[in-house]
Amino acid sequence: MERITFHPILGPQRIEREPVSFTFNGRKLTGLQGEPIAAALLASGIRTLRRHEESGTARALYCAIGHCMECRLNVEGRGKVRSCLTPLEEGMRITEGQQLPNEITGRKLQ
Amino acid sequence: MNCSSMIICRCEEVTLVQLEAAYEAGCRTSRQLKMKTRAAMGACQGRVCKQLLETWIIAKNPASPRDPELLPYRPPVRPVTFGQLAKGDV
Repeated sequence: MERITFHPILGPQRIEREPVSFTFNGRKLTGLQGEPIAAALLASGIRTLRRHEESGTARALYCAIGHCMECRLNVEGRGKVRSCLTPLEEGMRITEGQQLPNEITGRKLQ
Repeated sequence: MNCSSMIICRCEEVTLVQLEAAYEAGCRTSRQLKMKTRAAMGACQGRVCKQLLETWIIAKNPASPRDPELLPYRPPVRPVTFGQLAKGDV
């Protein structure tokens, strides 16, 4: 778990949020209540958030302001959400976006 | 810098080389580039690459029209689910 505890300009950072547990692709992780899902994953060392639907190349946090949709993830019960904007809650079950089959080009998934 | 791998549109994975190819094939406006390569047609709807596309085509062809309606923003400007629309929760 890596977080900025001392910021060169803002000074020491206090962590006042409650820790919550959630799963990412079935893996149990811990984050802080109400922080963006992307921040919790980044603190857990997860940088690949999804795979491109067509090519399968890795995608991660990019604009971090809800603009680019690159960080979208599947949250059970909520569908696709932008992980940079969605606050983390206790017990969230999160899965990454996968490469999809394409009937037009004939690509099937293994 | 290796231009063949330089991605202009992340959502649809359109590279600079694909834009060049589209230009060679006769695309002369940002809208024609979009229709040919799918750049600006992905999940972010051109929020990231629209300016790049417009700047690139103007640099390539200064006579290209500068009409903002060529790559317009269309509603809904923010992504909303049908559930949010139904509840008026937008």
